[in-house]
Amino acid sequence: MQVKILSEDGNTLRFLLSGSSIPFANALRRIMLSEVPTMAIDDVVIIENTSVMYDEILAHRLGLIPLVTDLDTYVMPEECSCKSELGCSKCRVVFTLDAKAEEDVKTVYSRDLATDPSNPSIKVVNGDIPIVKLAQGQRVKLEAYARLGTGEMHAKWQPLSLCVYKFVPKISIHRTKCAGKDCGKCVEICHRKVLSLEGGALKVERLMDCTLCGDCMKACPAGAINVGYDSSSFIYTLETLGGLPNHRIVLEAAKILMNKAEDFKKSLSEFLGEGGKEGEEMKIEEKKEGKEEEGKEHEGKGKEE
Amino acid sequence: MGMVPVRCFSCGALVGHKWEEFERRIKAGEDAGKVLDDLGVRRYCCRSILLSHVEVIDDVLKYFIKPMGDKREREGEREEENERERE
Repeated sequence: MQVKILSEDGNTLRFLLSGSSIPFANALRRIMLSEVPTMAIDDVVIIENTSVMYDEILAHRLGLIPLVTDLDTYVMPEECSCKSELGCSKCRVVFTLDAKAEEDVKTVYSRDLATDPSNPSIKVVNGDIPIVKLAQGQRVKLEAYARLGTGEMHAKWQPLSLCVYKFVPKISIHRTKCAGKDCGKCVEICHRKVLSLEGGALKVERLMDCTLCGDCMKACPAGAINVGYDSSSFIYTLETLGGLPNHRIVLEAAKILMNKAEDFKKSLSEFLGEGGKEGEEMKIEEKKEGKEEEGKEHEGKGKEE
Repeated sequence: MGMVPVRCFSCGALVGHKWEEFERRIKAGEDAGKVLDDLGVRRYCCRSILLSHVEVIDDVLKYFIKPMGDKREREGEREEENERERE
C-alpha cells in the first residue's frame, strides 16, 4: 500500500492511495468523515438575549462555527479522567460573547467570541462569520462551551466538508486504429482536457483529471480508445473545514481504523482461544455487545483483508 | 431567523463569511456566477445557498422599537402621571 500526494492547495488535498482494496478505501473515507474528533460549541448558557433571534437558533449557529482543534491536548469528555458532567480544562473550552448595539444596527461576528484566557490556542477558524444582527439597544450576552465530538454525533463535528475517492483511470489507445491529427474528436469532447494531440499522435496528458465519463470512447469513430479503471488504486479529494489540517485527519482516521482492527482481532482471539464454559459465557456477552459493534467490526474486516 | 446560513446545508462547507462580500458585489451590479467563482464557491450546493438567500433579519430589525429607559425611569413616569391625576 502506497500513498502519494497529488496536490495540496489551501483547504484541499488530493492524494493517491495505491495497492489497496475498496473495503479499506471506503472504511478510511467513512472514518475521516464521521469518527475523527474536532472541536465545536456544544452547550450555550444564554445570560441575555434581546435580539430578534431565538436562543435555540443562536446556539445552533454558534455550534456550526468551526474551531481550531488541538487533538494532542484535549480528550473526548466521555474518555476524560474528570468524569464530570460539566467537564474540566482537558475536555472543555469556554467562549464568552457580550455584544450590544449602541447606536446603529450591529452585526455580531464569530471574531467577537472571546476565547478562554487559559486556552488561547482554541479559537474560531474564520472570524468573519455573521452570527446575529442587533438593532439599537439590543444585547446578547452568553457563555459557550466547546468540546470534542465526532461527525456521527452531529454534523457540526465533521472535520471535512468534502471527502470522496474515485478509481484511478486507465486509458488505452489503439495506435493503428487511431487516425491521429486527422481526427481529434476525443480531444475536443473531453471537458477535463485529459487528452492532447502532440506532433500528430494522441497522448494522455492529464490522466488524474479523468472522470471516467467515457465521452471520448463515444466520440471516436474508429473505436480506438478505451477508458477503464484500476479498482485497487484511489484518488482521494479532501476539503477540510480548517479545524484540523487535511493530512492530520487522514492520519487520525488511519489510527482509529488500526485500533478497530486491533480490537476486533483481540476479541476474536479471545473468543476462539477459550473453549468450554467460559467460552460459552463470552459468546453471550459478545452477542449483547455485537449489535452495537456490528458496523465497526465490518470496517475492521476491511483492514484485515 | 433570516440570517445567512453559517454552513452549506448539503455538504457542510463554510459559506457564512462569504455573504457580505457577495451581497456587496451583487448590489454593485456584478454577475453573481462570476462573484461566486471569485469567492471560491465551487459546488452547486454551496452556490445555491448564497444565490437563494434573502437577509430577512434586515427587514425585521426596522420594526424593532427601542425599549423605553429602564424600569425605575418608567415607574417614575407612572408616579408623575398618578400625581397629575390626583390633582
